[in-house]
Amino acid sequence: MNSMEGLVTQIQGLSSTASDVLMLQNLLKQANDSLHAESTRLLPFLDQLDPSKHSLGYLYFLEACTAGPITKEQASSYVLIIARFLSSCVSEQIRLASHKFISVCKRFKDQLVLLGEPLRGVALMLTAIRKFQSSTEHLTALHPEFLLLCLLAKSYKTGHSVLEEDIFEVDQPKDLFLYCYYGGMICIGQKHFQKALELLHNVVTAPMFAVNAIAVEAYKKYILVSLILHGQFSTSLPKYSSSAAQRNLRSLCQLYFDMENSYSNGKIGDLETYVQSNKERFEHDNNLGLVKQVVSSLYKQNIQRLTQTYLTLSLQDIANTVQLGSVREAEMHVLQMIQDVEIYATINQKDGMVRFLEDPEQYKTIEMIERIDSSIQRLMILSKKITLTDELMSCDPSYLSKGCRERQKFDFDDYDSVPQRFNV
Amino acid sequence: MASSSSSGLTFKLHPLVIVNISDHYTRVKSQLSLPPSLTSTSSAATSNNNNNNSNGGENNQNPPPRVYGCVIGVQRGRTVEIFNSFELIYDPSTRSLDRSFLEKKQELYKKVFPHFYVLGWYSTGSDAQESDMHFHKALMDINESPLYVLLNPAINPAQKDLPVTIYESELHVIDGVPQLIFVRSSYLIETVEAERISVDHVAHLKPSGGSAATQLAAQLTGIHSAIKMLNSRIRVLHQYLVGMQKGDIPCESSVLRQVSSLLRRLPAIESEKFQDDFLMEYNDTLLITYLAMFTNCSSTMNELVDKFNTTYDRHSRRGGRTAFI
Repeated sequence: MNSMEGLVTQIQGLSSTASDVLMLQNLLKQANDSLHAESTRLLPFLDQLDPSKHSLGYLYFLEACTAGPITKEQASSYVLIIARFLSSCVSEQIRLASHKFISVCKRFKDQLVLLGEPLRGVALMLTAIRKFQSSTEHLTALHPEFLLLCLLAKSYKTGHSVLEEDIFEVDQPKDLFLYCYYGGMICIGQKHFQKALELLHNVVTAPMFAVNAIAVEAYKKYILVSLILHGQFSTSLPKYSSSAAQRNLRSLCQLYFDMENSYSNGKIGDLETYVQSNKERFEHDNNLGLVKQVVSSLYKQNIQRLTQTYLTLSLQDIANTVQLGSVREAEMHVLQMIQDVEIYATINQKDGMVRFLEDPEQYKTIEMIERIDSSIQRLMILSKKITLTDELMSCDPSYLSKGCRERQKFDFDDYDSVPQRFNV
Repeated sequence: MASSSSSGLTFKLHPLVIVNISDHYTRVKSQLSLPPSLTSTSSAATSNNNNNNSNGGENNQNPPPRVYGCVIGVQRGRTVEIFNSFELIYDPSTRSLDRSFLEKKQELYKKVFPHFYVLGWYSTGSDAQESDMHFHKALMDINESPLYVLLNPAINPAQKDLPVTIYESELHVIDGVPQLIFVRSSYLIETVEAERISVDHVAHLKPSGGSAATQLAAQLTGIHSAIKMLNSRIRVLHQYLVGMQKGDIPCESSVLRQVSSLLRRLPAIESEKFQDDFLMEYNDTLLITYLAMFTNCSSTMNELVDKFNTTYDRHSRRGGRTAFI
């Protein structure tokens, strides 16, 4: 106990300047084991420390406290303590002990899930992320936890705000996988299918040596979202996806591939029978809701196909071709699509004719100029980043050893001054 | 010898004269810098124009050759307009002017341009020299007060004005001895439409051998510098007007009138159709730039992906090149 009190006084004394804090960090590292040994009795000491001034010390104590198993009664009190800590801690100090911070936040999330109140944690986790990440382009281990809380709490909007940012730095690959997967699910929840497709695409094409479960689940959802959005799905993965993914994912998601076959026929009846027969398997994957959305999107795809053939069409004909029940339903569908700006058409109610129009965008307005200009600026920034990464990659020793060895054997017609054997 | 002239004459110089002089000089200089074996044979052929052919063995280390010629034009009242020029043969060391050549040329030009007179002569160099006075006096029998047009062929990128100066001769009493000295006069540049087109053409001539990319870049650089200059001039005007408004600068109504007339001339076209077409073309250019950036970015990305695949993919394809998908 004496050592604990001594530690507390030291924390209080050494938390003012940066050099003191570094000294303090060393002390705390040495005292780590003794902290863990005394974990059950550390709670009263926490009151002596102020989280905003002594963030580092507080963090060590807190982490030792929450390291062991926690019961439900303790969970609510711990949640309060951690909440107070998260809202008032100082970012420079917590970054010094990043692993501890991450584990504290994870325990926080676990406790909230245990208590069944994920909503309480959403805003706090957001502040924790903001304090922890070194820049908005940095993906930390906290991001997937945060998104999981958002999903459980169904607060999609807050989650979406985090997804808007571009990521350029990742700590751990598992973070990226989970982040993109959860992010994709949040976007599906908000019906932003385009963004969901991008995120799920990231999971599927991310570099991996062996196929992991996250990628498999993501691939299933990816197929479904792609069907909803585009009405089609390319069966081959792009060349920048890992070879492990390219070979194995297909066999693991065969069910969904077959669904794509029946989708492309355009017949609602076939699709519905297929869904019905495989219902349990879809439910097992928690994808049944998405599958039902796919079925309803088939109508949209059929109507879209009509716009490419006909200039005007009567509502009755639309209903017949698309196998909708009545003219009413056809009108509702077309109206919905016009509102969502998926097609351009006008409905003449007097004689029930629909005229399909061209995209009225003339690209002549000043707003369009500003849009294109901002896109060009963004693209320039991105291009610089990619060139930088490319240069870094060219200097990478593993690339040089592999790349040069291959070229030596096979590029006789394109001889250039690459040395034959690169000893690194 | 360069005080300002007091004759009160206004000189107008046409760009054709400047182009002629610079062409003459460039020709002579390039013929002079041939390799030694060729210079001796060519010097015989170019003996008219070569002033330094005694030094046939050397090339560019020589001081640059001076070229001489005559300027012709019209004098109406107090305005002297210099339209054209032709070359002359003159050796400053012997001070011999080929009179017959000069007269023959004069006759020829008289047939084509009956109104033009010999107004003076030109030469190249950085400053007027004493020896030039002899040539000047030699021409005085054709024209009582000839002009001396001097072109400085040294390229100075910092210089903003034309390196052309016009000198007149005046009789001054120096140390009790009346002497003719050169005095500088100001001049204006006057262009005819044909000259404007040719000057524009010459200005846009770039060294040949550039690929399409460098030619495009050169053209765009030219436009960019023109716009930049326009911008800076407008800024100067703007500052001037703001100062006048604040009261720091005394109000000058003549300047204000000129500015307001300039402003009323713009915008040149203000119709709906113009706006439409203009925006459409603007958008098209932006889209093309966007497309170009996209292509650039995708190709970098493709290379990056290739590198990544060769490095980290355990089962990458061996042999041959991977196709660009």
